[in-house]
Amino acid sequence: MMTELLVAVAVIAALSALLALLLLTADAVLLAYGECTLTINEEEEKVVEGGNSLLAGLMDEGIFVPSACGGRGSCGLCKVKVLEGGGPLLPTEMPHLTEEEREDHWRLSCQLKIRGDMALELPEEILSLQEYKTRVKRITELNYDTRMVRLEMVEPPELKFKAGQYIQLQTPAYGLTPEPVYRAYSMASPADRRDYIELIIRRVPGGICTTYVFELLEEGDEATVNGPYGDFVLSETDREIVFIAGGSGIAPIRSILFQMEREQNPRRATFFYGCNELRDLYLVEEMREFEQKVPNFEYVPVVARHEGEWDGETGLVTEAVDRRVEDCSDTEVYLCGSPGMIDASVKLLQGKGLTEERTFYDKFA
Amino acid sequence: MKQSPQLDLVEARMRPGAISLHGFLGKDTRPLSQILEEDHNTVNELGVTHRLIADRMEFFTEQGQKGLGTTVEVEGHFEVRVEEVRGVLPCPWPHKGLYGKLNVYLRNLELDKELTWTGLQVHLIGAHGFYEGRGSPFRIEPQEACRILEL
Repeated sequence: MMTELLVAVAVIAALSALLALLLLTADAVLLAYGECTLTINEEEEKVVEGGNSLLAGLMDEGIFVPSACGGRGSCGLCKVKVLEGGGPLLPTEMPHLTEEEREDHWRLSCQLKIRGDMALELPEEILSLQEYKTRVKRITELNYDTRMVRLEMVEPPELKFKAGQYIQLQTPAYGLTPEPVYRAYSMASPADRRDYIELIIRRVPGGICTTYVFELLEEGDEATVNGPYGDFVLSETDREIVFIAGGSGIAPIRSILFQMEREQNPRRATFFYGCNELRDLYLVEEMREFEQKVPNFEYVPVVARHEGEWDGETGLVTEAVDRRVEDCSDTEVYLCGSPGMIDASVKLLQGKGLTEERTFYDKFA
Repeated sequence: MKQSPQLDLVEARMRPGAISLHGFLGKDTRPLSQILEEDHNTVNELGVTHRLIADRMEFFTEQGQKGLGTTVEVEGHFEVRVEEVRGVLPCPWPHKGLYGKLNVYLRNLELDKELTWTGLQVHLIGAHGFYEGRGSPFRIEPQEACRILEL
């Protein structure tokens, strides 16, 4: 009886081992896609190793598709047109693509795996994006949970960008991530300084990138960025401007204010900055200096709750905007912050005459 | 509860890297069916339902969202703040629907205790009775949640 039992166990173990071996072999054979050719805009060919996501494969070839979530399939930014190859749409792509986009061959490049040759159509502006090696020149604490990081360009030595644009900062593999991840941060520095960029980074509890920046990144360290991305830039009209931001959303607006100072832009501009408590405010002195240097600029910090002395605006940022902005029928509005704050502000101002074409925003903080 | 092939697929989507970098299971080695069953039993013993817990979380989420990132006082002794970022997440279970990327921070001032959850978790608890695996950064202990939510 015991012998039969042992034989049965041995047979099952042998079968399991055989099955595992078969699976490993299948994995190695079937999932090895070999070299695949990506044809870009019918003129350029890139030979890449199959198996990677299209986003990662393009990045390896120095082509940087915008992504705010670092390729996790949640932001929906990294859409590219795949004219041939790619296979059927994946369930993880579906939610991010409209019916029109699906018919027009758009795919979510972070979800789509390179499993064969593909023909892609990429806009010229994506092809001009670059990777930059930088060095951390300075880290400045702005308040208890926000810091400004100045990155000095190393290679290439200059980064040309427009005020309001953003880059992707690479977080290398460390305790919280086994692979490099990327997060989007707006430039906060003057666009006429191409030798460095400044980023304003707010700590997110448990956040992969912000934990790295706050716990590990030090002055003198190397850092890699790519970009610049985005069209959140000042228009060339003479309309009145309303800026609205919260948290680290102050960053692109600071960069735009440097531009307005340099150009001595005469447009009337009001910047509403919303925060929870007095301790959340930062760069207040600098904003007051902009009021002196930019011809028609006013800074309006809005504090939701305060216990100490405060004679400024209180409540929600939308409440302060409501009190101070009467008519938006010839006003441009630039917003940067959480989706909830942006949605509430846009809804409010549309009731005062704001139209979609005069509304500019980046929905990330 | 027996682990069905369908639950195997759901469990695979909960692993790190599928939907989120860290996944939903933490260091839990139990099969998904067992995680669900044990939390279900705990909730039953507490005399509440997953839907009741999720509805209470949804209530605080909605109250917090009115603050646009600032802290909102609710019912006199709760403080809630909602932080939102760009993007959406799908549910690991195979159905339509996307859930905004937001974190809710609730503090019960009388107990001096805090509970944190994500937008997706309200759905995971209400629709699937899933509180995430042990060691997951967003694991919610049903008993502790009921105490803080005052259920």
